[in-house]
Amino acid sequence: MKLEKFNILNRAALAVLMAFAVQQTHAQNVAPALPQTKPIVLTGATIHTGSGQVIENGVIAFDKGIITQVGPAGSGNTTGAEVIDVKGKHIFPGLISLNTTVGIQEIASVRATLDFSEVGEVNPHIRSLIAYNTDSEVIPTLRGNGVLLSQAVPQGGIVSGSSSVFYTDGWNWEDAVLKKDDGIWLNWPAFLARSFNFEDFSVTMKRNENRQEVMDKFKSVFADAKAYADVANPSPVNLRLAAMKPLFEGTTNLYIRAEYAKDIVEAVKFAKEAGVKKVVIVGGDESYKVASFLKENQVPVVLNPTHRLPNRVDENVFQPYELPALLHKAGVKVAITYSEEWWRTRNLAFLAGTSSGYGNITPEEALQFITRNAAEIIGADKQIGTLEKGKHASFLVSEGDILDMRGNDVTMVFIKGGKVNLDDKQKRLYEKYKTKYSKN
Amino acid sequence: MLKQLSTLVALLGVSMLSHAQETFPRNGAYDQRSGRYAFTNANIVVDSKTTITNGTLLIENGLIREVSKQVKIPTGTVVIDLKGKYIYPSLIDLDSDYGMPEVKIERRTGGRQTPQLESNKKGAYGWNQAIQPENEAGKLFTPDAKKAEDLRKMGFGTVLSHSHDGIVRGSGALLSLTDESANKAILNGKASSHFSFSKGTSGQTYPSSAMGVVALLRQHYYDADWYAKGGKNQEKNLSLEAFNELKGLPSFFETNDKYSLLRADKIGDEFGVQYIIRGGGDEYQRLNEIKATKATLLLPLAFPEAYDVADPWDADLISISQLKHWELAPKNASEVAKAAIPFALTTSGLKNKNDFWKNIRTAIEYGLPKEKALEALTTLPASVIKADGQVGSIKAGLLANFLITSTDLFSKDNVIYENWIQGKKFVLTAINAPDLRGTYALSINNQPTGKLQITGSPEKPEYKVIIQDTVKITPKAILTNELLTLTYQPDKKRQETIRLTGWLTGNALKGEGILPNGNVVPWTATFSEKFAATSPKDTASKKAIETGKIVYPFVGFGNEELPKSETVLIKNATVWTNEKDGILKNTDVLIQNGKIAKVGKSLSAPSGSKTVDGTGKHLTTGIIDEHSHIALFAVNEGGQTSSAEVRMADVINPDDVNIYRQLAGGVTTSHLLHGSANSIGGQSALIKLKWGGSQSEMLIPESKTIKFALGENVKQSNWGDVARVRFPQTRMGVEQVFYDHFLRAKDYAQSWKAYNAKKGGVAPRRDLELDALAEIIANERSITCHSYVQSEINMLMSVADSLKFKINTFTHILEGYKLADKMQQRGIGGSTFADWWAYKMEVKEAIPYNAALMYHQGVTVAINSDDAEMARRLNQEAAKTVNYGGVPEEEAWKMVTLNPAKLLHVDDKLGSVKAGKDADLVLWNANPLSVYARPEFTMIEGTVYFDRKKDEEKQKTMAVERERLIQKMLSDKAEGKPTQKPQGAQPRMWHCEDIVGVHAEHAEEN
Repeated sequence: MKLEKFNILNRAALAVLMAFAVQQTHAQNVAPALPQTKPIVLTGATIHTGSGQVIENGVIAFDKGIITQVGPAGSGNTTGAEVIDVKGKHIFPGLISLNTTVGIQEIASVRATLDFSEVGEVNPHIRSLIAYNTDSEVIPTLRGNGVLLSQAVPQGGIVSGSSSVFYTDGWNWEDAVLKKDDGIWLNWPAFLARSFNFEDFSVTMKRNENRQEVMDKFKSVFADAKAYADVANPSPVNLRLAAMKPLFEGTTNLYIRAEYAKDIVEAVKFAKEAGVKKVVIVGGDESYKVASFLKENQVPVVLNPTHRLPNRVDENVFQPYELPALLHKAGVKVAITYSEEWWRTRNLAFLAGTSSGYGNITPEEALQFITRNAAEIIGADKQIGTLEKGKHASFLVSEGDILDMRGNDVTMVFIKGGKVNLDDKQKRLYEKYKTKYSKN
Repeated sequence: MLKQLSTLVALLGVSMLSHAQETFPRNGAYDQRSGRYAFTNANIVVDSKTTITNGTLLIENGLIREVSKQVKIPTGTVVIDLKGKYIYPSLIDLDSDYGMPEVKIERRTGGRQTPQLESNKKGAYGWNQAIQPENEAGKLFTPDAKKAEDLRKMGFGTVLSHSHDGIVRGSGALLSLTDESANKAILNGKASSHFSFSKGTSGQTYPSSAMGVVALLRQHYYDADWYAKGGKNQEKNLSLEAFNELKGLPSFFETNDKYSLLRADKIGDEFGVQYIIRGGGDEYQRLNEIKATKATLLLPLAFPEAYDVADPWDADLISISQLKHWELAPKNASEVAKAAIPFALTTSGLKNKNDFWKNIRTAIEYGLPKEKALEALTTLPASVIKADGQVGSIKAGLLANFLITSTDLFSKDNVIYENWIQGKKFVLTAINAPDLRGTYALSINNQPTGKLQITGSPEKPEYKVIIQDTVKITPKAILTNELLTLTYQPDKKRQETIRLTGWLTGNALKGEGILPNGNVVPWTATFSEKFAATSPKDTASKKAIETGKIVYPFVGFGNEELPKSETVLIKNATVWTNEKDGILKNTDVLIQNGKIAKVGKSLSAPSGSKTVDGTGKHLTTGIIDEHSHIALFAVNEGGQTSSAEVRMADVINPDDVNIYRQLAGGVTTSHLLHGSANSIGGQSALIKLKWGGSQSEMLIPESKTIKFALGENVKQSNWGDVARVRFPQTRMGVEQVFYDHFLRAKDYAQSWKAYNAKKGGVAPRRDLELDALAEIIANERSITCHSYVQSEINMLMSVADSLKFKINTFTHILEGYKLADKMQQRGIGGSTFADWWAYKMEVKEAIPYNAALMYHQGVTVAINSDDAEMARRLNQEAAKTVNYGGVPEEEAWKMVTLNPAKLLHVDDKLGSVKAGKDADLVLWNANPLSVYARPEFTMIEGTVYFDRKKDEEKQKTMAVERERLIQKMLSDKAEGKPTQKPQGAQPRMWHCEDIVGVHAEHAEEN
């Protein structure tokens, strides 16, 4: 009885906290960009197109949200356009942050703000799409560092659910979304299992003995889904199996989270045998061991944060930093991400920068890990990923090299041609306390 | 005095032996015998140094009466002619739990539990359940016939047994392995005292860490002293009383590895106690430091099994240190012997006790001299336990505890026939087994039927029946005394068995048999040829086994030879001085004797110096991480609200690969903090990352700091519903914790002051927790306080103001920007993250402009990591402050170098490139604030600990060494030696939030 009372009180306290949080959210995020009303031309900048090309003193023109020209100084039509001189600055395609929980996670320790992990093991029908909260206070802070697109990914279970890709600006999820339900996420049972010793708090890694059981479960789910997909109007409707149909049609990705080399090989083989058309390996810590296999099978890799420690004590100290370049040089398509993270994704550019510094590749190559490659992986390369005529006018202007802390200073952002307000809660707090100290 | 007393007790024990059961009534007639035996014609190994060949041993009444070449054997003596056999003293094991009650430790499983704050042991005992000096092995002992027999079979005659439960485990009893009553078995009921780092069955929350155990033990020693000197008039404490009675007895400390061994010895040093330390078998990895402890060691003989490394990817799980330890563990005893460290051997730690002899022989193969092995099992343990007047050698007056063996005790084909204990015979193998070996002509029913061949050893003969010189059949044979049964099938296809039974007669065998057809027939086997032993490979004569080199530290990237301090001239670099001169281009820096000797232009290289071209490169002082948890065995002592008494210096782990990784990121100094599980945490340790060095070489002892914490962690907000017991649960409570503790500390300091002034009377009770707090009040120890939100920061400042103590640094301090003016007024520094936020409620208003706002208000700002990964790119983190709030680059760089040096009060030696300061330097390939920057080398005091080129070489060397070991393991597997599945230890990453216990479990659940 006493305990129950305690819990109720506790819940009440939590509710109050939540109400407070929600209120603040509404009060503070700025209005999204308004649609582009007239042509705009930016001149004088160094344009990094995302396809490896660098145009010094370049011109970028766009109208109705679409790029109309990217070229050297003097090229393109400026009649009737608003011309903005950005001399000496740098223009980059909007950075794409895959594999995150932005919009479905707000404060990690507060359960009520966590919307990324559903109960149940096989949840292909769960969609991040409709949970994505455009009013998250985290989102504006990402734009300020150049992250203009973010993939919200369900976690948990064996089949976690379906992801969608959003612009980091918009009134609501329908407004912000770029690519709906771009793929289904699956947690491959790891070849090695961690076992925790409660006596000395040590962790031991050894063969996962339960692995086959989970794999057998996959196999039967996918076989059922394939059979279901073959029926034109199945009855009764099975939400789970129905959600998997696009996998067999090749319209969405199957993202498989797998770290160890053996897992990666088995996962890819499994997916192909199951009739899945597009497979992406996510995590891929040991993908470098099977780079040729991945290349042969044309399977791209979405890497977990490379600002991490090596997985084994004897591993090359810089191995995680070198990993993206290793795969890139071996001909594997790579994207770098901040898996399961949300606020940290604003540092995405620095993961790419580090991969250039340690991986012996140019910054332009490293840039592709968070622009062009990411766009191709989600199948949105017609709209985003590089700065080319006909694509979305979604890009940023920075004082310098976006991949380097010394240059990453975003002064202007356009999303689909609309000029984005770069204010955020943190900047407002900064201004507020500058006021306090200016009175001293 | 006490020593003498214990000897006296021991002597009494001996003299009473034969009358031990004087007081007991008998059932039936008295059966007193003299027990007088003479063993003649024996090779008597008196001890490891003396052997009497062809001597006689005379025993009587359980004691040795005489040993020499010529003994006058009294009439009425049973004489046993040993015909050249050997006599050895029975063995002694000092780490045994023989006859002790079983220690049942309830294994903790997943899920959270309500903390047990108090001892469950009722009665007038001490406050902590893991401190049990009142446990007396002598009283707990009950004979265990089965275990005694097992030990006797291995050759043991005496064990020192204690209850393996708790940190202070009480007394040990020296026990004889007789099968008679406990009254006879106890040679000394209070022979020793015992300690360990393990709480055992205690479920009490405190201590929850290794440094907590150290603190608890130290406090216990001080309390016992206080109790003896007058505390006993204030309270009755049976534990302290019992502990004081154990004083002066040999003290044994059970440890598990080289570093806990060193930790144990350090505790002993403080209290003038030289522990005898049971090690973990890895002593060879740090021999010099272990030798310096002057401790006698108890070495286990457990060697790791080879791993199954057939699959190259699976084998990746096994680290080089695991591989190397597998190879070198059998060499441990030999290395310890070579270093002249006294040691005894123990069977404890052996999973399978039958491995004892196998492993001891392996250790001998790996270079352990046999005399040392014998000494380590007889005279040395006897003298350590002060029982060399009773056991351990074959000398008159000692107990008649001895072994009769066929040959050299350690030889592979040796047989132990008998183990005599207190003059009583225990037969392991029949001593006079007839030697039937040889070849015999077999005749059945008077028909020659072939040959019978008997080989093997007399104790374990092997039989063969040979028909028509070609068909060899192994018969089933049973030899009992001189009776023999043989059955065999001459033709397997026909499945017909011939059955023979018979006896030895002279050197022939004869008897009766029944043929498959039922005919009863006579048979004989007539001796025809003598047995010729095929020369067994003498293991000792094998050439020394080759092993890889020991590296320091004993992990991957360890050094075969430790790097040395050099004289180096770095030419033409861009030097970030952190001094008035700012950033100097085209500048030279000379390093000599571990110090920066000169900074200037066109410096000339002294003879013998190394010159490094710094053109296009940036030279800076090493990064100092103000908030780190690397290189630690534990982080949180979360058992109590305050743990000011614990010291992180007690749990430094020089083998943590993160030391090397961080050197590779330009870090040279790390401030190792206690976690944030409680309001008053532990005393921090400042270390230099001298990869391969010892704990003491790394530690900067002048630095005296302590960790405090506020907010969600100390009030256990995120630990689930079971963590609602410990005070405080709110920020309101946190304030009162500080008032409570500091007011007590003030009184405490006052009472010591008063005592010291009058120089007399009873000293106040020494309290290690209040000692640390009193040091803060006296401005001798600096506070680093984990803090997030402005209300709590304001609170601690106001508590400090009112109690007149100083806060040195707020760490994390994510809302420092809201109170930067107040911090500046009080001279409090801020050590923060560059851009962390959103992970919990109290970081909701954290902003990346925090550092800049504090900096602009004149606060000394540091950027720290609290994370082993982030620490190796702190240069990148510092760079963010330029972006967020416009801190000048030079000032941003100071936030990871000079400013933390100032906050840690070591800026007189560290933190800038200035003549006279420590040569802790990093040469970068680019501007250190750039994402593209990486260290070319990192040096500490003129010694290069990380070098990019050498790192590449190291990786190659490691790959070669790894493959050599794997090949060796594969050959072992091919030879059929047992292997285990690969499993690797996952490196444990500590963060300040990690609370050993609750939080760690939580982390694993996610």
